[in-house]
Amino acid sequence: MAMSAHATAHTSQAKAAELPRVPTPAIGPRANPYLDADSFEGEGDLMVLNMGPQHPSTHGVLRLKLWLDGEVVIKAVPYLGYLHRGVEKLLEKLSYVQSTPIVDKNDYVASMTNELALVMAFEKLEGCEVPRRARYLRTICAEMQRVASHLLWLGTFALDMGGALGGGTTAFMYCLRERERILDLFEELTGARFHYHMMQIGGVRHDLPVGWDVHMKQVAADIRARIPEYESMLSANPIFRSRTKGIGRIDARLAMELGLSGPNLRACGVDFDLRRSQPYAAYDEIEVHSALAYEGDVYARYQVRVAEMYESLRIATALVDGVPAGPIMGRKPIETVNAVKPPAGEAYVAIDSPRGELGCWVVSDGSPRPYRCKLRPPSYHALAALPYLLPGTTIPDVVVILGSLDPIMGEADR
Amino acid sequence: MKHEAYDHPAFQLVERVPGLDLALLKADDLLHWGAENSLWIFPMGTSCCAIEFMAAAASRLDMDRFGTIVRGSPRQCDVMVIAGTITVKMAPRVLKLWEQMPEPKWAIAMGSCAISGDFYRDIYSVVPGVDTFMPVDVYVPGCPPSPDALVDGVRRLQEKIRAARAGTPFVREARPEAATMIRPEIKRLSDPDRDPAITQAQCKAVLNMDKGGRETPRS
Repeated sequence: MAMSAHATAHTSQAKAAELPRVPTPAIGPRANPYLDADSFEGEGDLMVLNMGPQHPSTHGVLRLKLWLDGEVVIKAVPYLGYLHRGVEKLLEKLSYVQSTPIVDKNDYVASMTNELALVMAFEKLEGCEVPRRARYLRTICAEMQRVASHLLWLGTFALDMGGALGGGTTAFMYCLRERERILDLFEELTGARFHYHMMQIGGVRHDLPVGWDVHMKQVAADIRARIPEYESMLSANPIFRSRTKGIGRIDARLAMELGLSGPNLRACGVDFDLRRSQPYAAYDEIEVHSALAYEGDVYARYQVRVAEMYESLRIATALVDGVPAGPIMGRKPIETVNAVKPPAGEAYVAIDSPRGELGCWVVSDGSPRPYRCKLRPPSYHALAALPYLLPGTTIPDVVVILGSLDPIMGEADR
Repeated sequence: MKHEAYDHPAFQLVERVPGLDLALLKADDLLHWGAENSLWIFPMGTSCCAIEFMAAAASRLDMDRFGTIVRGSPRQCDVMVIAGTITVKMAPRVLKLWEQMPEPKWAIAMGSCAISGDFYRDIYSVVPGVDTFMPVDVYVPGCPPSPDALVDGVRRLQEKIRAARAGTPFVREARPEAATMIRPEIKRLSDPDRDPAITQAQCKAVLNMDKGGRETPRS
């Protein structure tokens, strides 16, 4: 069942009006599931299960403490910090020029968007203009990175389902096959498979190699032709549908109160997309149709991410045809580590990363190093929804719900 | 003079039964051959390198061709691949998982974070290399290493196991031309003939970096 992003965007207003308003329990001090994290009334009869920090399905080093009654989860509390690498402190120690490769390792599945958020915050602080060609290249890279990130998510998510799909590794192998082709494109462009260091203050570091646009369009066409195969493997599978439909339902109001963003929020029917509301890079020159779904359950998140892949491929293909000529750097070349010295002040920039609103707040005191650099990772806020989603579900569903939120622990722990 | 081990009843049994020593040798060979060619890998993946580990196990490179299988339980595995940054909070868990693995077992440190801590080395929460608390057999450098490099690391581990069976110490043959190719201009801290004045000058250059002082000495 291929969900068309275009059709969804056109009918979003009408559907939102019909949406039944589900009353949400108030999130007050009494209902806060974090307050009594270590003990609560009636705890003695329950079994405590620690899931993680090493578990093949926790997508990293997340630890979930689950209180179980039989197989039913009564209470769940996530414990973070197993990958705390002190990135924000490290950014204070390094100069602005040296910072870009550091944030690559934060959200290691979508390095391009991490660099983009940081570099855009520095540019806002310094007040430098980015040439149009560089903005186009940034947008193309960010959109292809979104496809690669969602492909990896789809593969691991199918892997989490395991044997229920009759050999869960099938979708994983297919998805990583396509992802490798996107990584090849990035390798051709930047020389690196993974941590690109493509964005630079004032522009991008690498110009398009000869023939890259042809390769990119070929890859985009191939992936676009193959996503329906994966959809037919998953959406048409009754086991997949029964394991995802109606599971892990988030109400739109609760999602907004928790600070969810990106596909997790758009799956609740909230049309919030920073690419349209605050267009950055070259998004003001192209129409972006956000994929929307209304159920707010695991299946809706899956639908939104698959629809976003089509949309990202469309945006990237449309932009690569019209890349304007011109320079790729808007300032004089950076030659020393202390070349960038923004005036004292602060700047906040948020972009729509594959996981949601990725923010970067920088405070400068006029020195070549930032005084403070705060990152707002979307995964951290997605994990905050777990204590609300998990109670009442069974253990196999815990894995599915956790996977559907697409958390990256490197980003959440920083 | 006979060694104590010769008094063991099992050895006396081997001495008495004709042909048993040969059979045991063959069985030992078979076991080693099996261990070498059926490495079951426990992925201790924490961060970026885990994604490249997945890429190595997935469709393009398909590490299973070399006899490896990725398993989620340490009790079934022979090789632990430490892929990613190990923090102070995670290190006791890694050690516990390493102790849960049955002998014989090997470890591969994948990526510069697992080898030395990389640029997180000086951060308060990061362990500067997993070999500070557990043994490591093969180091695969890179940030992250490409999947090809990990496959090469697995092949080298097999080489090491093969060498251990033959009773020879595992020494990679030195290529003099490679040593001249990669030797940096500045002598490393471990080089015995390093001039201490260079260390002082380097420290000074780092401290003066703000003032634009870049006195990089050449030895």
